[in-house]
Amino acid sequence: MRVVRFVLFRLSVALLTLFGVSIIVFAAIRFVPGGFEDVVLGPFGTPETREAVRAKYGLDRPHLEQYVLWLGATTKGDFGTSLTTGQPVAAEIIRRAPATIQLALMSTLLAIVVGVPLGVASGVTSTNRVARAAGRLVGALGASVPTFVLGTVFVFVFSVWSLGVTVGGYVPFFEDPLANIRAMTLPVVTLSVFGMALIQRTTRDSVLNVTSETHITAAVARGERPPDIIRGHVLRNASIPIVTVTTVFLAYLLGGAVIVEQMYSVPGIAVYVVQSVENRDYLVVQAGVLLAATFFVSINILADAIYALIDPRIGGQRRDS
Amino acid sequence: MSSLLDVRDLVVVYNTPRGTVLALDGVSVGLNAGETLGIVGESGSGKSTLGLAIGRLMPQNAYRLSGDLVVNGHSVFKGDDENLRILRRDALGFIFQNPMAALDPTMRVGRQLTRAVGRRAAPEKVFSLLSSVGLTETERVFHSFPHELSGGMAQRVAIAIAIARRPQLIVADEPTASLDAWLRDQVLELLLSMCRATGAALVLLSHDLHMVSRHCRHVAVMYGGRIVEYGERETVFHRQAHPYTRALLRAAPGAEGPHGRLNPIRGVPPILMERSTCCAFASRCDWAVNQCLDERPEARWLDERSVICHRAETLLAGASGT
Repeated sequence: MRVVRFVLFRLSVALLTLFGVSIIVFAAIRFVPGGFEDVVLGPFGTPETREAVRAKYGLDRPHLEQYVLWLGATTKGDFGTSLTTGQPVAAEIIRRAPATIQLALMSTLLAIVVGVPLGVASGVTSTNRVARAAGRLVGALGASVPTFVLGTVFVFVFSVWSLGVTVGGYVPFFEDPLANIRAMTLPVVTLSVFGMALIQRTTRDSVLNVTSETHITAAVARGERPPDIIRGHVLRNASIPIVTVTTVFLAYLLGGAVIVEQMYSVPGIAVYVVQSVENRDYLVVQAGVLLAATFFVSINILADAIYALIDPRIGGQRRDS
Repeated sequence: MSSLLDVRDLVVVYNTPRGTVLALDGVSVGLNAGETLGIVGESGSGKSTLGLAIGRLMPQNAYRLSGDLVVNGHSVFKGDDENLRILRRDALGFIFQNPMAALDPTMRVGRQLTRAVGRRAAPEKVFSLLSSVGLTETERVFHSFPHELSGGMAQRVAIAIAIARRPQLIVADEPTASLDAWLRDQVLELLLSMCRATGAALVLLSHDLHMVSRHCRHVAVMYGGRIVEYGERETVFHRQAHPYTRALLRAAPGAEGPHGRLNPIRGVPPILMERSTCCAFASRCDWAVNQCLDERPEARWLDERSVICHRAETLLAGASGT
């Protein structure tokens, strides 16, 4: 069974990756000058009080012992307790997860919904000028304006004129969907503009490539209608680079979310993990980074599966119906 | 009999970064319903451009400078896109050199055929089409992706797609060049028999003059974007009036010289940036005289064929003399 072997192989590579990430993040956060005791006691802590704090949280134990303890607990689903709040890390992350998940999902969706049609419009030379100009504009602007600049402009403009959206003021979706959407619109748009540009450009290039292939000429020669050719023959053949670039965008999201959550006061995971770095809240940082790595590894496996679905030549195995 | 295909002094150029390149330099040729025309030439002779022009399928950077191409009374260059699409769908069928590249790699063969036959085509119609092109495992082929077929099977599928709507004219550009040698005759025979069965006319583009004159009633030899010799196959094949036609025959395998060596045509085909003011073949021609370099030859009717050569009479006299 090639499929089973393939899946097992990918899973073991994924686990190995996560193991590596766990070592790196554990070491990195401890290499940062200043420890949790410095955060708690400030600059005036005496060596004795600092040692007492370290002993209280078990930070005086050898690094290897700490790591093994943490890894053992983590594999059982126990991410430990936040040093700063005393709450379970898992609970702290789950509490902030909905905002970040919503942000990521909506941004990706918006980037695809805007980027793909614009890319197709600018890739298919027969479409009208306005669509092609719009595609080019989004492609050039979106790729060159940094997220924090765009966010700052948005904050300024929409603080002066509300225009139906709110700057900040996050409300969980299930409490008040309308208010939630109004608060999330700007963060989502800010985050997705780069994705729109990325996807638009990739789609355009990919569509241009595919439309110069013989089988498209053959479809034109058969007298298929142009919309049928685009839907039936161009899109699917052009979509592999689009999937690839979408995974790249998802990786970018991990970093971009920090800026956007901060800027629009969205209580999400990204900004929480960054704050935890400042607080030397070791277990939160470790769990957060491991979570991000798991997310990214899964996305890549998913992308490979999608490639095989899109193009029957990938994967190689016969799939008789 | 009304003319099915009528090409009138067609000039087609390609816009390239290094300037415009002339692909067709005033081509005129016609074809009646149900007839076969073979067009022969080296790569770069313009034959593929002519084939694509029949369905106005040239790449984006190609455009018509002058002349016209009429299929079934409809100009493919004038008139709107929708009429052209209907013409392509119902009157024309195209077969490309590489059948694998001409099929959508991500769509099952059955669905591609169904789309060619018509949206609401019954599966039985598609299956009977598959068996009519000599495919035996029609069920398996129907559910296969193109890469799961062999080259020969894929070209049979391509032929099935081309004849799906019973076109009046099929254009096949080197339909067997990418196939294994032992398959070529089979596939070509199939193509010809399908044309006979459906009454379709055939334009066969090839570099192989022997093969073309075996299968096509009329033969046109292209060089430098012009049809330099055109006539019935017996005339052109046995009494060549153009030095290039003669050189093509001598250069073909099977026509080796005394020491078993091929007789290649020296030099390379020209890339024309503008309409030639002399004979485009003159620099490679053993028969060339000063007139060939000074004066652009025009098409003449001579001994039952059309020929573009100042020296045609000399050639014919020499040929009959030996």
